[in-house]
Formats: sequence, C-alpha cells, structure tokens
Amino acid sequence: MTGAFATFTNNTDRDIRIIGGTAEVAAMVEAHEVAMIDGAMKMRAVEGGILIKAGETLTLEPGGLHIMLMGLNKPVLDGEEVSLTVDFDGTEDLTFTWPVKPSVAGDETYEPKKD
Amino acid sequence: MINRRGFLTGTAVAAVSATTAGAAAAAIAADQTAKEFSERANTAVLKKAEPFFGKHQNGIELELQTFTTFIALDIKPETNKAAMLRWMRLLTDDIARIAKGEATVAEPHEELSLGPARSTVTVGFGPTLFEKLDLQNEVPKTFERIPAFKIDQLKPEFSDGDVLIQVSADDPLVLSHSVRALTRDSMGFAEVRWTQSGFTNAQGVVPGGTRQRNLMGQVDGTDNPALGSDDFDNLVWIKDGPKWAVGGCIMVLRRIAMNLNTWDALGRSDKEQVIGRKLSNGAPLTGENETDIPDFEAEDENGLKVIAGFAHVRRASPTNLNERFFRRPFNYDCGLSKDGNPDVGLLWPAYMANLDQYVSVQRRLAEFDLLNKWTTPIGSSVWAIAGGVAEGAILAQELFSS
Repeated sequence: MTGAFATFTNNTDRDIRIIGGTAEVAAMVEAHEVAMIDGAMKMRAVEGGILIKAGETLTLEPGGLHIMLMGLNKPVLDGEEVSLTVDFDGTEDLTFTWPVKPSVAGDETYEPKKD
Repeated sequence: MINRRGFLTGTAVAAVSATTAGAAAAAIAADQTAKEFSERANTAVLKKAEPFFGKHQNGIELELQTFTTFIALDIKPETNKAAMLRWMRLLTDDIARIAKGEATVAEPHEELSLGPARSTVTVGFGPTLFEKLDLQNEVPKTFERIPAFKIDQLKPEFSDGDVLIQVSADDPLVLSHSVRALTRDSMGFAEVRWTQSGFTNAQGVVPGGTRQRNLMGQVDGTDNPALGSDDFDNLVWIKDGPKWAVGGCIMVLRRIAMNLNTWDALGRSDKEQVIGRKLSNGAPLTGENETDIPDFEAEDENGLKVIAGFAHVRRASPTNLNERFFRRPFNYDCGLSKDGNPDVGLLWPAYMANLDQYVSVQRRLAEFDLLNKWTTPIGSSVWAIAGGVAEGAILAQELFSS
C-alpha cells in the first residue's frame, strides 16, 4: 500500500468530492481518512468521499485525509513517477503524474470496511 | 516591485489621515517606514537567493556562505544506474526548491522552510561510484583517487565516498533543515559515510569575497581566480569531457587539522616567516597589500631571502599557469580536548578542471613546507562535480541514462 498526498483547490462554485481513483500500479484506489479506532490510529475509507467545499483548498497529508493505493502489482520505487487518476463527484476526473518519495509518516494500520 | 507590506502601509496611512490631523498621520507613516525598514534589514540575509538552474551547479562560484555541510554517501548494493537516476530526480527537485527557500515536496515541517538564505546544494561523484556502476567510460579526464602524500594522516571517517552532497547557507537552521530533507530522500539509495560541517564569518562581518581569516589567524584564499572572470572559467569548469561533466569540475576536499597550541608557541614574526605573509593584512613579506605579488628573489641586508625557502607561499606558488585552482575554505571547530587543545582546522575544497592543477602543488607542499609542522591533513576525498542543470532536466542525467 502507498498513500497519495496533494493539495486540491476547488475553483468551482459547488462542492466536490474525491470518491476514489484508478492507477495502473494498484488494484484499488480509495479516499481515506485516519481515525482513532479501538484506541489505535487506523485508516479507513471515507464514507461518501473526501469533501472539498466550493472555493476551498484541502490538503491531503500523512496522518490525515489521503488517497490510498492498494493491491500494488509492482513495488513503487522512490524517485519514480506514477500516473494516478483521481475520481471526483461533482467535477470531471483528473489524471496527474505523482513523484514517489519516501515517508516515515502515516504508518497506520488499515481498517477494512465491515459490510 | 510593490510588495504586499508596502501596499498595506500606504492604505493605512490614507485611512488615518482622513480622520486625524496631517501631522499625526505623518508621524504614523514615519514610524511605519522605520519599522518596515528595520524588519527588512533584519531579514535581508534570509531573503537572498542563489539561482540553481544554469550552466554550472550553484555552490561553487559565489562568495562564501556562513555555514556548510558536506555529506558523503555510499550507495546500497542494489543501487544501479536506474536507481541513481531516480535518486537524482528527487534531489534535483529538492535542490531547486531549497534554493528558492521553499519546502520540498512532502516536507513534514513546512514551517522550517524559512527562506533561501543563499542556500546552495552541489552534487558530485567519487571514483568508487564509477567503479561500482561500471561507468569508467564516463570518467572526466585526470579524475582519479589522489595519491597518498607523506604528510597525510587520513582517517576513514573523513575520507572518500561514492556520492557527495554539499549544502551551504547563511543560516544554520535553514541549512540543518535542508540537510534533513536531502538525507531523507537519499536513504532509499545509499547510506551516510560521513558528514563534515564548517563555517566562515557571519554575514555583515567582513566585506564580501572568498578571502577570510582562518583559525591560525592567516588570511586564506588570496590569489584565488576572481568570481565571474575568464580566469575562473578557464581554471575551474570542464569544457571537454563526458557530456554530464561539461560545466562541472573536479573538487578535492581536504580536512586539515591545526595544532593551535604549538602554533601559538611561535612568535608573531616566526608565524609570518612560516607563511611568507604578514599576519596583519595578508600582504607578502616583500609587499604592502594582500594582492601584491610576492617577490621570491628579494633579499634582506644579510643576503637571506625575505621569503624563506621553507615558506608556505613560496612552496604553494604556481610554477606555471596550470598549477592554479579555486579554493573555498571553511573552518571547522569540534570542541576542546581535556588539555584545552581545540579540535579545529580547515574544510578545504579546491575546484579545478584538471586534477593535475592541484596534485603538482600538493606534491611540492608535502615534500617541504614548514607549515606542515602545525597542520595535518586528516581527511581527503576527490569528487567529479556534475555540470549545471537546465530547468526540467535531471542532475547528471546523461551519466545515469548512458
């Protein structure tokens, strides 16, 4: 698993949501939050996606809201560039090139959906 | 350029004058201006920036910064050329941001990216890297390990290495923060072999330049090629060589320990005799000003040479124009021994297009230079410094894509 972090500014006049994404390197891409679950920091999918209100800027960062790439089909290496499409609700999806960097932060365990 | 602060001040004054007497408004305006001026003066050192993209890497042809840290790294066994290129991609982006005083991507402490403070980062490669990655065809002319000199007492913890990252800045906190960012992004590819830190004068203490006093009291850096001159260009930058090295250079880094306890046992004129220069202003014993050319033939009333045969300036003096290079020395101070002898000396980098420019001079100094009695080289390394980076390109791209 690896996290994707960025700063998004919603320049539209309506709320939008990050609901997931697609990447060639990952089987699944989810919008995640980090929460205290049973006394430990865990990350899980955000119900309904990550909200970015009209005109506002939101930063995805380690230990907070982020996009999670799961089921990597090859190791993602430091200094590589990975293409990742972010799926939005309320605006069209966007594809970016993301530089891969090492990070010691964001070492939470994953709490899969229980349904 | 109208800055934001200036603009806001103007508005405030206008608003005040609408409701109060003109004199009060003028007083407030003067107060604001003084405050603004002092604030600008207080942060002037922080705001100066050195461009990174260009023909040459930054960190070499510029006036001394106040602080520097040299980091030598050894690559991990699995680090191949492709990994080197990925590493250089990360470093290139980091360096470009650091030079502008911006936080690097994914920086966990953005608030520590205070400003540029003339931050520069210079990257070079040691002879062992070319061997490990089978890059012998990419070695710049004359670049190899420097020969052992009989005066050397080299310690492995200050010597050699595969990759060098030199970080310099006018502020120690800015420097430390940059070192952290660059190291963090390097640990996937290499481990740290050694770090060595040095300093010069604080900004605003001495006139600018590359000449400063070292901790033995001597003016160091006299007779350097002038920054921005053709002389500098000819002596330092590689013009003919592998593509990645054109616009780069060869750097020798020596750690030279000083024994100040025994040095200070000498009288003032003895110290001047050892160097061949006056302590007061660095002028040769045969001249008045620092920049005067030493007269090696001059004799005193007893028929003895004014600048003695053993004097450092005589031994170091180039015998031909190919024996000159650019020095950019920093001091180091690592505390005191029990008996009060300071662990001090020079972090002495010399930059040149051709390694022979240095080796011939050092050979002569090692053979005979009275200064050797109080100074000991305890660290030594040699680096091929990559050429400059164009915007959008990767540092040493051609070396690792070959």
